[in-house]
Amino acid sequence: MKRITIISGHYGSGKSEISVNLAIQKKIDYLVDLDIINPYFRSRSLDKLLEENNIHLVESTIKGMTGSDLPYISGEGVVPFVNSNISAIYDLGGTENGVRVLIQFLDRLKDINEIDFLCSVNIFRPETSDAKKILQTISMYEAVTQLKVTGLINNTNLIGETTEEGIIEGERILLEVSKKLKIPIVYTVIEENSKNYKYKFLGERLELTRYIAKRWL
Amino acid sequence: MSKVLMKGNEAMALAAIKAGCEAFYGYPITPQNELPEYLSKHMPLYNRVFVQAESEIAAINMVYGAAGAGARVLTSSSSPGIALKQEGISYMAGSELPGVIINVMRGGPGLGGIQPSQADYKQITRGGGNGDYYLYSLAPETLQEAVDLIKESFDIADYFRNPVMIAVDGLIGQMMEPVDLDREVPKWDLKPKTWIADGNTKNRKKNVINSLYLDPQDLEDHNMKLKEKYDEMRANHQRYEFINMENAEIVIIAYGSVSRIARSAIEILSEKGIKCGILRPITIFPYPKKAFSKLPLTVKNLLVVEMSTGQMLDDVIISNERGLPISFFGRVGGIVPEVEEIVEKVLEIVGGEKHE
Repeated sequence: MKRITIISGHYGSGKSEISVNLAIQKKIDYLVDLDIINPYFRSRSLDKLLEENNIHLVESTIKGMTGSDLPYISGEGVVPFVNSNISAIYDLGGTENGVRVLIQFLDRLKDINEIDFLCSVNIFRPETSDAKKILQTISMYEAVTQLKVTGLINNTNLIGETTEEGIIEGERILLEVSKKLKIPIVYTVIEENSKNYKYKFLGERLELTRYIAKRWL
Repeated sequence: MSKVLMKGNEAMALAAIKAGCEAFYGYPITPQNELPEYLSKHMPLYNRVFVQAESEIAAINMVYGAAGAGARVLTSSSSPGIALKQEGISYMAGSELPGVIINVMRGGPGLGGIQPSQADYKQITRGGGNGDYYLYSLAPETLQEAVDLIKESFDIADYFRNPVMIAVDGLIGQMMEPVDLDREVPKWDLKPKTWIADGNTKNRKKNVINSLYLDPQDLEDHNMKLKEKYDEMRANHQRYEFINMENAEIVIIAYGSVSRIARSAIEILSEKGIKCGILRPITIFPYPKKAFSKLPLTVKNLLVVEMSTGQMLDDVIISNERGLPISFFGRVGGIVPEVEEIVEKVLEIVGGEKHE
């Protein structure tokens, strides 16, 4: 895993849950929540959990404003770009405008090889249901940030109705993208309740606990 | 079509398109912004109208105009924006214009906050504007139900020639859930819209869209005609669901997101030996009064749970014909009740856990 992982993807592709799970499992120093698009279900709502896991949360500059949808974030988000001792995960917002927030930090970037720019995909989201649409999404992110997407996350799911076959179908579609762009599938997300899936999915198996959306959701 | 994973606001927008909604007029407000955002992208693809108006007041009057011209029309907003639309909604009811209004509720009063709430209940069910009128008001608890009800709601609005309100809280707008957009929904028996102001090219008797009646007798007659519609809604179109009601000793009454939480609570309660049912109103106007006479005789207590300080509570008091003791639990300000809080409240009412 590279020192900095940036996670992009349409809303509903699981960016925030993936960011929090990766940060905890990989003992990352900083979680930078750059989501200025969603008003609910953001990784910043887990400040206590992150603190317990010694993960420094960077969010908006005004503390306690969980009910704010003002599009601002702390300049502290630049720290992992200038201090090469700090590992970080950047959790982006889902739309073109959500991704744009990242640009302000990129001119401080010292070594592009220290960054993984991943795109999380759920083929059950209508905007990323086939290879063509996924390629369009990725080229939009690349055009906005001027960064190459370096890997894919297969987060195919229907929440409580996910099946192993569904994830395999997600992998088939993502493989088309992977071949076309010559980038790997870095993670396949498997939820806690699907641990018994036998199929050997591409990339590292990321066992995911849903922290943000409660059970009854 | 198989299921897709959608965000509530998107799913509701797509449901409106599937229902043949021809025009949308609205103004942005959190937490419903994804709804107009989705329609702004997709309505043009279907050759339909999307307008971001200069204000909520402009938007609802555009809805009035489009409905008067015979279009299937939608607007959406969240609490403070819906408050601004009340005048136009009253005019629509007065002029007998169909239309669908989606309210993705947030905390109030005033600007309040952007987190989920059910505090517009009275505004929705009592008519927020002036005059004697009501909105047929549906309160789905899942995205699938929201999609199905929105698809049907355009028919309901046309059938009654009256606006229909879809009342959801911010959570329904923001949550993700698998949905099937192409499920069959009931079709209402609709007459041709012979009353619309469409240019009168065939020189028939002139149609007038109006809510002004200066002769008191005319206005009383008009009000009585409207009342007949509301009486028909009350008599024949109440909707509700009973959950786990057999032999229940206590019943939680909750709608929308709160009934989802109640579903988790009754599972825990069942492990503690408590038989707890749920009465889930699906229409909040007309209120499902009929459900109260169908409650099993085992029921000894009612508990109303809302994201308000107790608004639906009044309807429960009105409908409680058996005179059962009523308790209330509510969280406000955008705070969502926790499963454990509801469990605790039920245990407090029934006097603790019961083990055989």
